[in-house]
Amino acid sequence: MTTLGQLVISGILIGGIYALMSIGLTLIFGVLRIVNFAHGEFLMLAMYGAWAVTTLLGFNPYVAVLAIVPAMFLFGGIVYRIIISPGLDKPHLVVVFATMGLSIFLQNVALMMMTADLWDVPPIFSHAVIVGALRFKAELLLGFLITILCTVGLQWVIRATYLGKAIRATVQDGEAAMLMGIPVPRIFLITFAGGSALVGLAACVMMPLFSVFPTVGLNFVLIAFVVVVLGGMGSIEGALIGGICIGVVQSLSSYYVAPAFGQMFFFILFLLVMIFRPNGILGQKGAATIGIND
Amino acid sequence: MRVWLRLCACLFGATAILLAGGVAKAQQPIRIGVLLPLTGPFAKNGIENWEAMQIARDMINERGGVNGRKIEFVQGDATSPNAAISETERIITKDGIKITTGSFASPLAIAVSQAAERHGVFHWETTGAAEIITRRGFKHTFQVGAPARKYGQAAVDFVIEDVAKRLKKPASDLRLALLWENRAFGKSVGDGIRAYTGIKKIKLVYDEGYDQFATDMTPIVQKLKDEKPDVLIAISFPNDAILFQRKAKELDFNVAAFIGVSAGYSSPDLRNSIGDMVNGLFVADFPPKVNPNVLKPDVRKVADEFYKRYEDKMKRPPAGHAAAGFSAVWALFTEVLPKGKTFEPDELREIALMLDLPEGSLVNGSGIKFTNFDWPDDPKDAGQNLRASIGVWQWTKSGNDQVFPPKLATHEAAMVPLPVWSKR
Repeated sequence: MTTLGQLVISGILIGGIYALMSIGLTLIFGVLRIVNFAHGEFLMLAMYGAWAVTTLLGFNPYVAVLAIVPAMFLFGGIVYRIIISPGLDKPHLVVVFATMGLSIFLQNVALMMMTADLWDVPPIFSHAVIVGALRFKAELLLGFLITILCTVGLQWVIRATYLGKAIRATVQDGEAAMLMGIPVPRIFLITFAGGSALVGLAACVMMPLFSVFPTVGLNFVLIAFVVVVLGGMGSIEGALIGGICIGVVQSLSSYYVAPAFGQMFFFILFLLVMIFRPNGILGQKGAATIGIND
Repeated sequence: MRVWLRLCACLFGATAILLAGGVAKAQQPIRIGVLLPLTGPFAKNGIENWEAMQIARDMINERGGVNGRKIEFVQGDATSPNAAISETERIITKDGIKITTGSFASPLAIAVSQAAERHGVFHWETTGAAEIITRRGFKHTFQVGAPARKYGQAAVDFVIEDVAKRLKKPASDLRLALLWENRAFGKSVGDGIRAYTGIKKIKLVYDEGYDQFATDMTPIVQKLKDEKPDVLIAISFPNDAILFQRKAKELDFNVAAFIGVSAGYSSPDLRNSIGDMVNGLFVADFPPKVNPNVLKPDVRKVADEFYKRYEDKMKRPPAGHAAAGFSAVWALFTEVLPKGKTFEPDELREIALMLDLPEGSLVNGSGIKFTNFDWPDDPKDAGQNLRASIGVWQWTKSGNDQVFPPKLATHEAAMVPLPVWSKR
């Protein structure tokens, strides 16, 4: 029973981390209807940033959020202006190849500047949290709470603010939104930059848990894509549920079947969801064409 | 008189042209293709190997080269098996390379040697270890490093001959667990350990493979914790080794002795990432530095120079695979190439097969004697070095100490049983 509890709790907590790094991806997908294949490298870049702020300036990685989130917002804005925006009115493949190219470029820039070494920040809490016979890292628990706050906060922005309304209007009908005076290109810019800023937040949360190296994004990006599609493309709370599902399925199947099959089982879950609920767990019909869920 | 003068001028001119041609030929560098992962997930170790090989190249060139000819490297970035094949093809077909070396990791070694063999190119593998590398009937592939089974055998021998005594238990009573990453190297070593423990009548209480890109080690560590092994042998790459150790601490999973096998557990990153938690862990690997007394006197001088240059350049001592990379190419420069005339792959093959160097002839303590479809253990094996040294070293506060086998050891094993996490 202890083992089962440990596996489920750990699965939920790591699932929260998977969700946090996927929210930016789903937001961008929901509004711009593009897939950012450089998402993993955005994460890598932000993790290097968090590492630098923590190690070189001596701040806590959670304090690094104050620097990394705005920096990633700015970086996302620049990438949107230079790489994404020119390809938006062209065939889909243009943006696919542009973001893939950006992914390879960023990996190699990181390799040149940071070498292939693995970099870490010292643990923030020296002891694990112990509840009965269960043990887990305080950083994981904190990461999960931040994910919940982030999901709730983002939902509030989308539903209750003028910016959120403008985003939803843009998603429903870009042309009509433009006729109503909504600056659609700027909404796209803000969304892409905002999605990148969320990756920055995820990076600060992940830095005390994982090492950063030039290809760290590859370890997570596949999970992020599965989380987004599983939860429902464009659905923010869907990303949270998708992340937790993957975390728990991976944890239980790795223990009870074999660790090598952990990924296989979450892909089986993925296939089942695709067969029986093609729009994802919380996705609505046609989400791929209408974008973020209402 | 004029006729004589013209004749002399012609003869002088012809001699000058011939001499110039001869000198030019003598000065032409020997070009060697180096296939290593310089980008991508294996880049960390690939770059360390590249640095070690460059030191070997500089050292031989400063000594006047090979029979007066300098060594020149042509680089290929073998970032993945597919890239390894295309990069090997590129340097062979475009640059006319007939000798290749590299390639650090087993999946890359399999790919590079396959492409090289297809073109009849001589491939001198430095550290690739999977058994299959030399079991495909290839004629021009020579694996200087130890085969995967030797890593496992070293770890198991160490458990039987050293750890069991320190734990005051018969080896057959020890609860031994085996964890392996499920790609070419990990699987190959795991297979070797399973077979060898069977021969030695030791039962494995846990034996599972995992994906090295796993992001959560909880299920693995929890299962190990439930199995309560005395000794764990783990084959991992750097990132997963770090994740495993952190998770072991989080879940308070303790063993009396932990033996990592090469790759992740020998990487200097491990100490950078987990700090003093690394102290006490054992690593079955190419020896990073052996007891100098086992080296031949001239090899000892080369070793001193290599270690000094590497530490000056990289600001840290070489890991075992980097020392093995140096050792292998140094043997190529000093034992194979000087005996060549045409440097054609068939000629180099004959020279390699004739090599009979005792242990202690290479900087990392290895000797060289290759199989040639004549090895009783496996008649399909050709080009495998039977005298490659593998041992066990231990992470300590001051660095790493060779602890096994006794012949290569510089120190005795310490911290057995390994203190529990709360006391480390």
